[in-house]
Amino acid sequence: MDALETFIVEAAIPSEAGFYKKIVEDNISSLKLAPAIGRIRVILRPEDSLFQMVIILREIGTSLKTADIADVEAKVATEQHVLITIKKEQYLPDLLRLLWKRYGKANISQPDRWTVAINVERPLEEAPLIRDMVVADPRHTLHENLVDFAIRVTPEGFRVRYHLFKGRRFVFVASEEAMKKEWIEEAGAMLEELERTKGGK
Amino acid sequence: MAAVLLPYLYTGGVHKHWLILELLEDLGGYLIQKMVTGTEVNLIMLIPEKDVHLIKEVSDELRGVMLEAPLTGVEIAVVSPTLASHHLPHSACDVAEYLRHPGANTNMIGLARGMGRRVSLSKDFERKLINEHDLAVFTFGSFSDCIINKKPKLFEGIEIPIVVTGGPELRTEDVPGADLYIGNIGRVAHRLKKGEEICALDGLNEGVAELVGKIRKELSKDPLAVLPARVMKEIENQIPEIHNVLSPGAITLQLNGLRVKLPYEEFHERIEKLEFDEGVFLGELAKITRSKMKNYILIKIKYKSEVGFAI
Repeated sequence: MDALETFIVEAAIPSEAGFYKKIVEDNISSLKLAPAIGRIRVILRPEDSLFQMVIILREIGTSLKTADIADVEAKVATEQHVLITIKKEQYLPDLLRLLWKRYGKANISQPDRWTVAINVERPLEEAPLIRDMVVADPRHTLHENLVDFAIRVTPEGFRVRYHLFKGRRFVFVASEEAMKKEWIEEAGAMLEELERTKGGK
Repeated sequence: MAAVLLPYLYTGGVHKHWLILELLEDLGGYLIQKMVTGTEVNLIMLIPEKDVHLIKEVSDELRGVMLEAPLTGVEIAVVSPTLASHHLPHSACDVAEYLRHPGANTNMIGLARGMGRRVSLSKDFERKLINEHDLAVFTFGSFSDCIINKKPKLFEGIEIPIVVTGGPELRTEDVPGADLYIGNIGRVAHRLKKGEEICALDGLNEGVAELVGKIRKELSKDPLAVLPARVMKEIENQIPEIHNVLSPGAITLQLNGLRVKLPYEEFHERIEKLEFDEGVFLGELAKITRSKMKNYILIKIKYKSEVGFAI
């Protein structure tokens, strides 16, 4: 499944659907969700105070270890330290947080933005440990971001919400009125339909 | 008869800008606001109509730019349904910022419970606060059904002219209670920077300037007992504490009054006793009350017909 291979926003008045598509797009990009979402469909019925959204996610990446984002070397020749060369800078804050906790800020230096040096007594033993440390878990952040995304794109007054997050499927229904069973069933039918569709924006 | 004053914005270097200020004072004009940013200075002024060319000459000598600023001396409330990320910072802040270009002072007001269709409502306090301004701009969303049928209940109790912005292209008469509707400025999650968005903001500024022109024209039929700009100058001269106020626009001009950003208890009596050259006190010419905004002082100047004379 490609990223955002299906992206549909529907409303009774086409121009209003266009406005709303832009809002959904902006929120997807500000939460960096574009690579995670495969298909998305939103239906808006302002006259019924109803917002329905179904999403099918793409394959979610597994957790990232230090070895995936950096090269870790043990240096024993002159000084005893572990040298980390960063390859993916976006995970550096997460890595640093873990290192500070384990070795203390005083033992960690950053001579430049791509290098982290840790003073340790036994670099040869510590280096494999650091290599296997779990730095980031995309599944966890994705769940958080998806909930945030749903709340951001929903019209603000629609505070009665239903959501279902199961496997790669996400269903979200919001309204201002008491939730009706048929709205949730409709969203379920939307999801099934979305699973059958292939491509087309 | 008092001279007709025209609002202008001067933008130029800080170097020698006092030449303009000195000339303005000699000509009997008023400096409304001065903003220094690095080596640049922005001066918002009221200049006597027949002397505008004199100031322009000095401005040309200093290589500065003079622009007409039709919204000078107007305080506008930009009202957003709530302060949540759905409405702010984009669109509502852009609207407020853009209205400042032609000289207006804008205040952002986020209602406590303005969101939604059936559940949206405004509080008495909020309505009173909005009514302290000259004009209110309500920033609404993308659905015509909401703008036409549901949101106008937020206008109840608002006595000042109402401008509405929203996504769909509607006619002003479709939106009950609105004096002006501007489309293409709906709910967005990005900064307004595309061509059509900037065009819509330009349209908003033009529309608001036209509306303000109408209010000024109506005001000229029964003029105020004293010009707000003159009161401003007297406050600056007679109450030196105003120079220590750090709020932006320590004295904010309105079409029919001023907001003075000094604590009410301490200063309202001194403001009432503000004396003009003609021997009258401000207390005789204006209603001085506690503003709903913080603990500021709100001055609403009475009309000539009410007082019997104008100075």
